[in-house]
Amino acid sequence: MSTLEQLQARIQRLEDIKSIEHLQRIYGYYWDYSEWEMIVDLFSDSAESVEIADHGVYKDKDGIRRFYIDLMKGGPDGHMRQGWLSINMQLQGVVTVNPDGRSAKGRWYGFMMEARPTMSIHEGELRQTWAHGIYENGYIKEDDKWKINKLHFFLNFRTPYEDGWLKTPVVGHHGPSLDVPPDAPPTTWHPYPAGYRFMPHFNHPLTEE
Amino acid sequence: MDIEALEKQVVLMEDILSVETLQRTYGYYFDTRQFHKIVNLFSENTSFVEIESHGRFAGKEGVKRMFSFGGTTPKKNKGTAGVATVIMQLGGVVTVNPDGKTALGRWQTWLAESFPFGGRLGQYWLQGYYENEYIKEDETWLFSKLHWYTTFYTRFETGWMVQPLVGFLPRSEADHPPTAFFPYPSGYKYPYHFPHPITGAVFDPKEEAYDPMGM
Repeated sequence: MSTLEQLQARIQRLEDIKSIEHLQRIYGYYWDYSEWEMIVDLFSDSAESVEIADHGVYKDKDGIRRFYIDLMKGGPDGHMRQGWLSINMQLQGVVTVNPDGRSAKGRWYGFMMEARPTMSIHEGELRQTWAHGIYENGYIKEDDKWKINKLHFFLNFRTPYEDGWLKTPVVGHHGPSLDVPPDAPPTTWHPYPAGYRFMPHFNHPLTEE
Repeated sequence: MDIEALEKQVVLMEDILSVETLQRTYGYYFDTRQFHKIVNLFSENTSFVEIESHGRFAGKEGVKRMFSFGGTTPKKNKGTAGVATVIMQLGGVVTVNPDGKTALGRWQTWLAESFPFGGRLGQYWLQGYYENEYIKEDETWLFSKLHWYTTFYTRFETGWMVQPLVGFLPRSEADHPPTAFFPYPSGYKYPYHFPHPITGAVFDPKEEAYDPMGM
């Protein structure tokens, strides 16, 4: 028979996993509606970094703000152009809470249905695209709230609706921004058909490999 | 830490899990055309169901009217040749109210469908969001409100940017016209029931100026 404290620790772990699942799904809902400020506020003030596709690594909360506000939004007064669409479904989470109960990791799929320009994030002809990739994220618990500590999205493909991933694996990616440069180059820019394996954070549940 | 506090935490987790299962059950019943079973997922105290451009159907009686298109008996629910829906219930964010008796949930669906729109079978992609309400009655969670907002309803052959909407599907037997039918590219933001999980800020779409002409 477990003690009350042991039971409490077990239910706490379930609550933590559920909170992180909600946090990640809310990230997706905010992304869908280009709520860049609200996304920045999902990160801890001491957050490590954000890295998405080929945009490079933006470090610390300042870098995270530069990525979402200066680059994605186009500046504090920027706005997405008419017709911009990026529905970013956050699917199939595997969340691992560390034994300390203060930090966690999560692997997710991002699957997107979009209408976006192909010259840059803000310029060029709008095209409808399918995109898929994988997140390996870090979370931290502060003041009883789970926050994003690190977000890393590996892009598998972003293809024109009319073409498909075999014919045109990637469209609209031209490397890190020159206007809003990252702190470090991209670390996992190996879209299909590179055969790159973006490894899971978790150990094998049985063998612990 | 006492046993009462622990019980409260366990019940909350069970409630969230039950509501998640309820919502996913709805999807599986929809896919398998068991609309008579869907009706029974709703409380007698249901406020309304509103889907796509069909309009708003009030009360439990409205739920029965809304889902009558599939027939109200198992026999009639066998389906029509070629009609198929894959109505995935994804991304649940379920908030149980402090009373433990009611809850709110946001979900999205990505839908693959074959449907005789305009009398001819077509293949369609749809996407949209739910903001639903749930009520716990006799220890069972039921829907008390279901509202599905549609972002796009497009042909497989064309896609959402080229053709965001194949057409309107108003239902003459609805109690009210649709209240939130603004498909892509309107820029409409279907409000989240939850406040920001860190800052607590409440989202109000009316605070956002939007220029529908893109000027």
